[in-house]
Amino acid sequence: MINLVYNEMLKIVRKKRLFIIAAIVAVLVSLFTYAQFKQIETIRERIGTTDWRTQLQQQIIDTQNRLNSTGISEEWKKFLKIRLQQQQYYLDNDINPMAPGAPTFMRMFIENSIELFLPLLVMVIAADLVSSEASGGTIKLLLTRPVKRWKVLMSKYIAMILSTSFIVFSVALLSYAISGIVFGYGGWNLPLLTGFSVQGEELNTTAVHLIPQWKYLLIEFGLAFFVSLVVGTLTFMLSVLIRSTAAVMGIMLAALISGAILSSMVSSWESAKYLFMVNLRLTSYISGTAPPIDGMTLSFSMTVLAVWALGALIVSFYVFTKRDVY
Amino acid sequence: MSKRIIGMIVAICVATTVLWAIGLIVTIQDQFFYKASSVKQEQKPTTLSMEKSGSLSIVALGDSLTRGTGDETGKGYVGYVVDELKKKTSQHVQFTNLAIKGQRSAQLIGQLKQKEVQRQLKEADIILMTIGGNDLFRGGEALRDLSTTQIEKEKEKFAQQLRTIFQLVRTVNNEAPVFYIALYNPFNDLDNGKETSAVVRSWNYAASEVAADYQFIICVPTYDLFELQVNDYLYTDKFHPNKEGYKRIGERVASLITLTKGEK
Repeated sequence: MINLVYNEMLKIVRKKRLFIIAAIVAVLVSLFTYAQFKQIETIRERIGTTDWRTQLQQQIIDTQNRLNSTGISEEWKKFLKIRLQQQQYYLDNDINPMAPGAPTFMRMFIENSIELFLPLLVMVIAADLVSSEASGGTIKLLLTRPVKRWKVLMSKYIAMILSTSFIVFSVALLSYAISGIVFGYGGWNLPLLTGFSVQGEELNTTAVHLIPQWKYLLIEFGLAFFVSLVVGTLTFMLSVLIRSTAAVMGIMLAALISGAILSSMVSSWESAKYLFMVNLRLTSYISGTAPPIDGMTLSFSMTVLAVWALGALIVSFYVFTKRDVY
Repeated sequence: MSKRIIGMIVAICVATTVLWAIGLIVTIQDQFFYKASSVKQEQKPTTLSMEKSGSLSIVALGDSLTRGTGDETGKGYVGYVVDELKKKTSQHVQFTNLAIKGQRSAQLIGQLKQKEVQRQLKEADIILMTIGGNDLFRGGEALRDLSTTQIEKEKEKFAQQLRTIFQLVRTVNNEAPVFYIALYNPFNDLDNGKETSAVVRSWNYAASEVAADYQFIICVPTYDLFELQVNDYLYTDKFHPNKEGYKRIGERVASLITLTKGEK
């Protein structure tokens, strides 16, 4: 079995996809680092101070003013209200959630890429694991070996898991290394608040507690890995079902992008919360922003995602072992 | 590609998989099995006070007027005051606008009790303030009901709250001059302009009486600025000043600010 997995890893590495993905991440991280740097600079120019308390207070006031203006949608209002309460909580407890530093950047980057960017990268690897063998005809060579079919698929699946964690790792490493050049490498022990839960328009702070940033990051990257795994498993299933890699990518792309769009407009369509693509933003439960649909919680989203992944896994193994290969 | 590189990559993959799995376990333990308790943090000796010298700090409080509603450049009168000050002084001017649109005096009292707001006020060298417009006009509602007893009652309440506001500001910071910008009458060219003007005048009188009880609280009149051709200086909502109106208020306030030698 180990040899089979090694064999699959060999194929993935030989295709050089992992390096291309790392290069994409590096370019994007550099772009965002620069953008973030610029943003900090303009804020400082506008307010005329680098004191974070003043800046946070100004943000709170700005939000309060936006809440008072008419023509602002109810959903947006709710989102702003919750963020307002959270910012006030940070201010009252004298904690700077945005203290500059590479770990803070990592946190921001992973929070913004968990929904779309990271799944896309995983999809690039997972999409052709099986389908390329089918369309290239090499599947026959693979299956004529004296190895059980489920073992062949299992080795591919494990290789997918391994490369997924490699991708998450490269996101972590590169975002830390590159942004650190500008923001400095410190800040692992910055205290952060977590455990906010949203109830209607109110922010419930009973379970709020402080954790150091490294733990916060570990949690967020763990969740990012979980999300990537689920997306990878779904892509894997499609890759088993469909012979064309392009079609697999097309379907997954459509699903992921529709998820990003849906989560901004589904608040009135309650049953949409059972779709996997609106549940991808797991990190927002950690930071305490309002979920797209009322009543969604971390455990709920994780369960939904796990059920989808499990279903996909069963389908792929069933189809792969029963299918005629010609 | 050598075997060693591939072996290394596989090793990294396995190691990171374990790491992320730990992350997931931590997540479950931290998020689902956390006993509720309050946030405790050892209070560090806060080095809050920024060095006062070298920078001139202006804090603005109040309602939409201080916010600058109606000025298409978004500056408001405070923007013009800050511009003028920048010309006068070589120091770095630091400006914080804490005004919230539609704020009434009772809400301002609530805001003044916040820790961070107090910290900023403490460091302020100049404080600018507008309040009372929403107490009086209540979004135009007052025009329909001009019954004197009601308005008198409101006035008493407002004067009381204004006293609380000044008291709060003074307890936090008893040095910085406070410029309280008084009310004008945006409706003085309407049919009942005479009556509304009388009300505005009496409110302004009450406010200036309260201000007189405190040191360095200056009540800046704006009533006269909008007496002639009021519509030339009002925004299309016929309530807030427009750019020209704000400029006039700003010029007046700026002319009142005198910088001591150290501040120049």
